[in-house]
Amino acid sequence: MYLTNGIVIGIIYAISALGVTLIVGIMKVVNFAHGELYVFAGYFSYYMSVSLGLSPLVAMPLSVFLVFLIGLLMEKALIRPTYGDDMYSLIVTFILSIVLQNLALLIFGPYPNKPPNLIFGATNLFGLFYYGNQRLLSFFISLAILLFIFYLIKMTWFGKSIRAVSQDREMASRIGIDHYRINMLSFGLGAALAAAAGVILSPIFPVTPSGSAAISLTAFVVVVLGGMGSLKGCLVGGLILGIIENLGAAYISTMYRGIFGFILLILVLVFRPWGLYGQKT
Amino acid sequence: MKSSTIWFSVAGLSVAIILPFFLSQYWLHVMIISLFYVMMASSWNLLAGYTGQVSFAHAAFAGVGAYTSGMLSVFLGVSPWLGILIGIISAALLGLGLGVLCIRMGGIYLSLTTLGFSEIIRIIITNEDNWTRGTMGLQTPGLFVEYSKTGYYFIFLAVAVAIGVVIYKLIHSEWGLTMRAVLNDEIAASASGINTINVRLLAFTFTSAIAGLAGGLYGHYLMLVTPDIPSLGQMFLVLAMAVIGGMGSFAGPIVGSFVLEILSEYIREWGEYHVLIFGLIALAMARFAPEGLMGLWINKRKGHGHTN
Repeated sequence: MYLTNGIVIGIIYAISALGVTLIVGIMKVVNFAHGELYVFAGYFSYYMSVSLGLSPLVAMPLSVFLVFLIGLLMEKALIRPTYGDDMYSLIVTFILSIVLQNLALLIFGPYPNKPPNLIFGATNLFGLFYYGNQRLLSFFISLAILLFIFYLIKMTWFGKSIRAVSQDREMASRIGIDHYRINMLSFGLGAALAAAAGVILSPIFPVTPSGSAAISLTAFVVVVLGGMGSLKGCLVGGLILGIIENLGAAYISTMYRGIFGFILLILVLVFRPWGLYGQKT
Repeated sequence: MKSSTIWFSVAGLSVAIILPFFLSQYWLHVMIISLFYVMMASSWNLLAGYTGQVSFAHAAFAGVGAYTSGMLSVFLGVSPWLGILIGIISAALLGLGLGVLCIRMGGIYLSLTTLGFSEIIRIIITNEDNWTRGTMGLQTPGLFVEYSKTGYYFIFLAVAVAIGVVIYKLIHSEWGLTMRAVLNDEIAASASGINTINVRLLAFTFTSAIAGLAGGLYGHYLMLVTPDIPSLGQMFLVLAMAVIGGMGSFAGPIVGSFVLEILSEYIREWGEYHVLIFGLIALAMARFAPEGLMGLWINKRKGHGHTN
């Protein structure tokens, strides 16, 4: 059961981490406001379905789209001027994370909220134990998103231009790819992935403005573990972290759930700093 | 040293020395807190502004200093002075360890790892409440037998000036030149025989030690050490002071510390909004005036020079 939980959560971690790795891989920018975007999406989906009475099926994609727009705006207004200056982009996204966190506190208040479940009840898995339907559904939605992103990056023209820009920005622009547009779209996509993880997980784990740092960190651990910029690494890294956290919380201590990720991060840095699937240099 | 710099330092120092005789206890407190931030922001600036390493663990190292010294004096009855010294050493050793782990992997890894480290320190302190009293805070003894704000003020002033002098000397030494070479062009620097990793590691360890010292003093001044000291919120304040004052300049973080700390006294009544406001100011500065207040001031002076 803990293992199943680990796999389900791990897939959702993978989506969230995918958002970070996409931006790092293409723009060499770490989005420290990742967790805040997740939290915003969770609250959007809560207010749309509870206050506006929208069906969660409408509220969820709508929230993701809203955060996608926020991501585009962030890139255009704040990240674009920092191109080529890695240090400033780190500082700007960190300040942005503090601003968004306080903004969330201001708008949504400090109380945890959870959007309504899409589905109720539980299913007997493999005749072993009952498992919540909401979690199962989340698992399948996440899997679908994951496959979609892999398809997008590996098979479509958009994906090809993304990979071209990430390999050689100058060369890509010389063959007619507008790298400003690509950067903006990928930042938006990264934000949307954070939002997707947010709307999927928030019915299971309620969102709070103060919880955003932990969410960012989880995504960062997965990205470093998998290797920066690697899509496959995100999937494997997410699963590993999900399983370790759930087994660790079950058998060692729940208070220190956050610590397992950090220990993993240290181990990766000591033994394989480029991550599981990253490039060595 | 330029003569204008000397004049500014002498004038500033004289004002600082006679200040406590004119200030109320309340404003003296504000000055002491500002001096704490001067130590924090200046040393963080040495790291980020001069070697390009954006560490998010600076507040965490201050927390290490504060809690090490606090717990030693509470549980073992160690003198706070000795406690602060041990706190400095602990912060330096942790900094060295963290630096060895991630500096060779480059800037992004350092930022991610220090952010993680900072959260872990906060989680451990909050959870191990037998030793740290958790969020309630640990009550620690003061530095003096008889409480004296003026006494604290002079200690903070002396330490801040000493740190300032060391940083100034470092920036204007061969070592500072090396660090700037690493910042401007890492490949060229390493090609001309500079060991970039050692330079960065040294800077990281040294500034962690300063953060430990500042945190130790701060804890014994407040006489209550809470998990707020190693929090990311505190880290943000230090970063905002350096960014708003002007990163990569010696005076920038000093100006930023006083401006923000004094400003925060005036907007205190707005409560939680004040972090949001600082955040927006910092964001606007980083976007439109990346050299901060110092940069603006220098440009303005230059502009006047041209028109005259």
